[in-house]
Amino acid sequence: MLASLKLLDLMANSSASMAKQWAKDVVKNPKTPYYHNSDQDKIIPQAAEFYQKLSRVYTDKDPFTAIQGFMGKFAEARFKEKVPLHEALYSIILMRRHIWLYAEFQAIFISIIEQHQALDSQLRTILMFDYITYAFTEKYWELMNQEMGKKNKK
Amino acid sequence: MQAYATKLIDLIELKAENIAKQWATDVMKHNRTPSYSSLPLDRVIERGVAFYRLFRQMSLANVPYEAAKNFSWKYAKDCYRDKIPLQEAVYALILLRRNLWLYAEFQGVFVSALELHQAVESLNRTILMYDYVSYQVIEKYQELIHAEVDKKLGPVKMTMNNPIIAIKSIYKSGLMGILLLGACILTYYYHATLGTGVIFTHLFYIPIILASVWWGKKGIFTAIFLAGLILISHVLFLKAVPFLDDIIRALMFIVIGGVVGWLMDGIRKIEDMYKANI
Repeated sequence: MLASLKLLDLMANSSASMAKQWAKDVVKNPKTPYYHNSDQDKIIPQAAEFYQKLSRVYTDKDPFTAIQGFMGKFAEARFKEKVPLHEALYSIILMRRHIWLYAEFQAIFISIIEQHQALDSQLRTILMFDYITYAFTEKYWELMNQEMGKKNKK
Repeated sequence: MQAYATKLIDLIELKAENIAKQWATDVMKHNRTPSYSSLPLDRVIERGVAFYRLFRQMSLANVPYEAAKNFSWKYAKDCYRDKIPLQEAVYALILLRRNLWLYAEFQGVFVSALELHQAVESLNRTILMYDYVSYQVIEKYQELIHAEVDKKLGPVKMTMNNPIIAIKSIYKSGLMGILLLGACILTYYYHATLGTGVIFTHLFYIPIILASVWWGKKGIFTAIFLAGLILISHVLFLKAVPFLDDIIRALMFIVIGGVVGWLMDGIRKIEDMYKANI
């Protein structure tokens, strides 16, 4: 897990730059049409905050509970904005891709040992995003059901 | 990337059933996928095999995203039919990907330095495949929810789109005014001129029902007005005729108006819910 620290540092220190790269992508990606008319000044802080929070739990022994906490709030915000679930999740997939794209661009994994670190970091990132996907979908689904329940009671 | 991933693709193709069995054991007892525990094992394995066979198809396809659609849509339909919550369906996909990787590790497919490099490439390919499939599954699953709501609310939609219901508000008030005026004239003619309580009051159900359909519970005021009309007219012009018949008629006006209004309010709520979720 220590090998992942390099990526963790990058995520914590360059969250705003990563978020900008992500925003450029998400506003024109054909799988995220909701974001096409979004104000970049509004969505960049969302992504930057996401990277910051992710970097804080990256080395936790059991990151799932912490991820559930901040992804619950993230899901609530996207639900209020009426971002379709599949698009919101794809925007998260793009966030993950941009961690890697940024790391590659910064050429932080060059030597053989660093290449080994790359694989380790990649596995760790995937695990984090597996939790993120699950926690996000779980909360969003719960909110959808709550909304249906409320309307049924009226 | 294709060349690097070949080793993994070969393994998957050859051992699809074994990996699917391993996945089935995992997903059926995993605490994040409890709904799978009640499914028949064969059905779960079949789903896993379909996923692992997709790997080759996607690798050979010019547009892998398109190649994944058949599987993803079927997977979403199956999960929806089996009432598996969306987050569990997605986590089962995550486990499909993980088990593939665990099996490859267990088989010692990637050992040397070069193979380690292949491992990274293969890993990227499995993640890309998962990204596409998860997006398509979630999209389809939501589509299925909307289709079911659509199907259930079909008669409601037909009701709300009915031209009599969708008439403009100003015309509703105007038409109601004319109908009520007609009711007053009819009542005066029968009670004062003919001196009879003959059952012309059945015609009053037209404005009563229309008012309840248009204005829901508020439409009951039309029924109350018409009930009052026949009772007052009876007192004024039909002193010799027993009062009980008209009392029952007046009560029926209010009951019918109230029930129809209450039902229409319910239909409107369902319609609002439908609109909000489509």
